[in-house]
Amino acid sequence: MKKFYRLILRDIHLVIKGSSDAGAALLFYLLAIIMFPLSSGTESTLLISIAGGAIWVAALFSSLLSLDRLFRSDFEDGSLEQLVLSGISLETIVISKCFAHWLTNGLPIVILSPILALIIGLDFSYWWILCLTLLLGTPSLTLIGATPAALSCAIGKGGVLTALIILPLMLPVLILGSGAITAEISGLGGFGHIYALAAILPLSLLAVPFLASKALRLGWE
Amino acid sequence: MTFIFISLGLWYGLFNSPPDYQQGETVRIMYVHVPAAWMAMMVYLSMTIMSIFALVWRHPLADILSKCSAPIGASFTLIALVTGSIWGKPTWGTWWVWDARLTSVFILFLIYMGHITLVRSFEDEYKGARAGAILTLIGAFNLPIIKFSVDWWNTLHQPASVIKLDGPAIHIDMMIPLILMALGFLFFYFSFLLINVQTELNNRKLKKLFIQSFSKKN
Repeated sequence: MKKFYRLILRDIHLVIKGSSDAGAALLFYLLAIIMFPLSSGTESTLLISIAGGAIWVAALFSSLLSLDRLFRSDFEDGSLEQLVLSGISLETIVISKCFAHWLTNGLPIVILSPILALIIGLDFSYWWILCLTLLLGTPSLTLIGATPAALSCAIGKGGVLTALIILPLMLPVLILGSGAITAEISGLGGFGHIYALAAILPLSLLAVPFLASKALRLGWE
Repeated sequence: MTFIFISLGLWYGLFNSPPDYQQGETVRIMYVHVPAAWMAMMVYLSMTIMSIFALVWRHPLADILSKCSAPIGASFTLIALVTGSIWGKPTWGTWWVWDARLTSVFILFLIYMGHITLVRSFEDEYKGARAGAILTLIGAFNLPIIKFSVDWWNTLHQPASVIKLDGPAIHIDMMIPLILMALGFLFFYFSFLLINVQTELNNRKLKKLFIQSFSKKN
């Protein structure tokens, strides 16, 4: 457990020192949200109806961008191998990396989102459902993206291919997350979507560590 | 076998089954659409099982089978989507709606395409097949969503009428061509899978022979 904390602290240190793209991904999140009012006009009625979806799309792309380097930099400079040789199981490393990624990418998105929702015109009374869906959804996004990110290490190149593989897998999370907000605004109640969204998280938490470490081992073969 | 079943199914479906009392002759699209959709899911299911075999027991043929199934499954999914769209125009009045079943099948198609691209992007085909097996397992969560999407979300696509607990809700005259076509598609899958696997194995053998002949020369 102590090692687990150390690993997370190490990754957060790397982010603070600026040697990973987590900060850039967060900035991208802000920029992507600003795109929506600029591109679809500043009419508030239109913006209100797409606000939830816009925030979700921006969150998805931001996590997609930062996921690309989730394992790659450590894989390429050999520190991942050293970590495994030091006796920590690869599954633990995968979980800690995902957790650190969520702390540096997902959590700031959740915290920033109510303010950004105000900017693009979502009614303030809906901030709680936005935060709830993002709180449940962003860890799932991280976990779902972890295995393709590990696979991209095995290929040795990332970029478009990783995005191509991750995006279809992430779509259900996006549909449920933004669907919950739309359903709540239209008065249907978003909890049906939220329960399904909450079910994805434990399922992916169960499957991802094994699959992602399989993929990383494939890279070392 | 494939040829016999598909031609029999087509003959029954096109000439020897009654038109629907509401939909008229367009109902005959069903004899292609429904088996293709079944096969799209069946192929993915078999790919999932093969991938588990490949990753857990490292069976050497399992990941090749899984890899070679993907293009066939993708074609079945595309057929199901296109015929569904053509069928949707006269009956629903629209080519496409973002209904739960349509969306999830579309995601299945995207996952198939991602799988094909991923496998092809590896230089080492052994590694590529293993990577494909890993990806198949993550994508497998989509299968139950497709199967039950019509029950969970009450949208435009009709619920299942053949594979139900209390027996099929479809007349026997329509059932016969449907089953024949389904069997035909199943045998189509098997025969093309065998051809694909054979090609794959021959390719690997050729590569080995090439390397051997090269090393003998030097």
